[in-house]
Amino acid sequence: MSQQPTDGKIVVDGIDKRFRSESGPVDALRDVNFAVEEGEFVCIIGASGAGKTTLFRIIAGLESATEGTVWLDGEPIDGPGTDRGMVFQEYGLFPWRTVLKNVTFGLEERGLDKQARLQRAREMIDLVGLDGFEDSYPKELSGGMKQRVGIARALAVDPEILLMDEPFGSVDAQTKQRLHEELLDIWSATNKTVLFVTHDVDEAVTLADRVVVLTGSPGSVHEVVDIDLARPRSRTDDAFADYEQQLRDAIE
Amino acid sequence: MSIDTSTDSESGLVADEELIASGRRQRLLRGAVGSAIFLVVWQVAAMPVPTYLLPTPLEVAQAFVVELTAPAVFTVPLLDIEIGLTRMLVNLSDSLYHYIPGLFVGGAAGIAFGIALGWSELLDDAITPVQRVLRPIPPLAWIAFAIVWLGVNHRGAAFIVGIGAFWINFYNAYAGVKAVPQSTKEVAASLGVDDDLTMIRKVVVPKASPEIMTGIRTSIGQSWMIVVAAELFGAPGVGFQIINAAQNLALDVSVAYMFVISIVFLISDGIFQRVESRVLVWRE
Repeated sequence: MSQQPTDGKIVVDGIDKRFRSESGPVDALRDVNFAVEEGEFVCIIGASGAGKTTLFRIIAGLESATEGTVWLDGEPIDGPGTDRGMVFQEYGLFPWRTVLKNVTFGLEERGLDKQARLQRAREMIDLVGLDGFEDSYPKELSGGMKQRVGIARALAVDPEILLMDEPFGSVDAQTKQRLHEELLDIWSATNKTVLFVTHDVDEAVTLADRVVVLTGSPGSVHEVVDIDLARPRSRTDDAFADYEQQLRDAIE
Repeated sequence: MSIDTSTDSESGLVADEELIASGRRQRLLRGAVGSAIFLVVWQVAAMPVPTYLLPTPLEVAQAFVVELTAPAVFTVPLLDIEIGLTRMLVNLSDSLYHYIPGLFVGGAAGIAFGIALGWSELLDDAITPVQRVLRPIPPLAWIAFAIVWLGVNHRGAAFIVGIGAFWINFYNAYAGVKAVPQSTKEVAASLGVDDDLTMIRKVVVPKASPEIMTGIRTSIGQSWMIVVAAELFGAPGVGFQIINAAQNLALDVSVAYMFVISIVFLISDGIFQRVESRVLVWRE
């Protein structure tokens, strides 16, 4: 059995991904390497076609790598699991379940008793600021509220890391800004490790400790940028703008 | 300012309600007028011709009341218990005796097969060729087997009804399960669902339930059509009365039983519609 090559909560080690297609194999990722430390907030950024979503799906265990391994706490990832809480762009809520029942879904699979499930779910719903909406169905919620449910549901099973794939891609700018603040609050309250995929430079500089820049086709890591700014960060800050420019240049 | 807007919106609300109510009154009125014209045209058309060609609405109404009230004895199949009912209720009970088992057994089997084939590519690939060939065969074409195996009785008729209900429910459940997005299953997997049965029970079936419910509702209606057709071959019931009375030139009785089918359909469809809107309250 091989070993995790370097220290880190998540270690992405030599990932290649090749898809078969009608017109022959297509390389999506080539030799992607980086590590995420415990408690870190890392954004993966890149132009469309750079393989961000493919990389997310490999880390999520929804797709297997052609070459290489993703390690979580020293164990190779070989499928989806509750050690990674996932939040998707299109929310992925279960429309037939109320907010409360969406959040309890993962807890039911754990075999927790009903009392404990409900208590945990209510805590999570409070955490994302949706108390009062426990009995609403997803169709009754706005995009921002739906994604709050998505986050509460992912956190309910107490995962090691939170994996987010362009989670705020479908909400308006104002809601996005509020969700950023709330996500950072949740992050500092729960001490989770967060891996956040986005194509939005502004979003990456707002949120991340470090930004992994994927470029090219097949995608590989072009650069890892430390965002050395105190939180809360202000967009009007010169340093903020400098980081934005740096990332923009890196993507191109 | 704020007072102004609130009064505005309130009066707006009242106006809306009035609009809806007047719209409903208008629809009811138009429906009543249309129905009245239909009855008058029917009456006028039927008056010059003998009843055995076209009964008038009044004759049909009379026949309906006679059938509804004339006492008759219903022998409960299998149990041989005799119950005093009326002629119409006896015929209706006979029809229900193959409608209900056919619908339930055929429908349940259809849903089960639909889910299984929709879920499992192996089963789908293996069974689809046979399924494609059998599906276009009208349920009534199976009458030969029904007669040979089961006879012209409740079981034979239930068999035919069952085949009809099977295909309707099969196809809807199959399509519903096939349409469950991969992403929904992936979300469930990420939340710890790691076996097929749990995935089917907690994710696939709920997600496919609108289609499954559509199948059930369609089969509730279609099965009545099949009941009538199956009874034309001699199984007792409402459909048999339609053809039997016609052969005795009592077309008023025939038409009265045609309305029985219609009434029963409207009631069962109405009840199911309520069940459906309750079960699918979450639907967008």
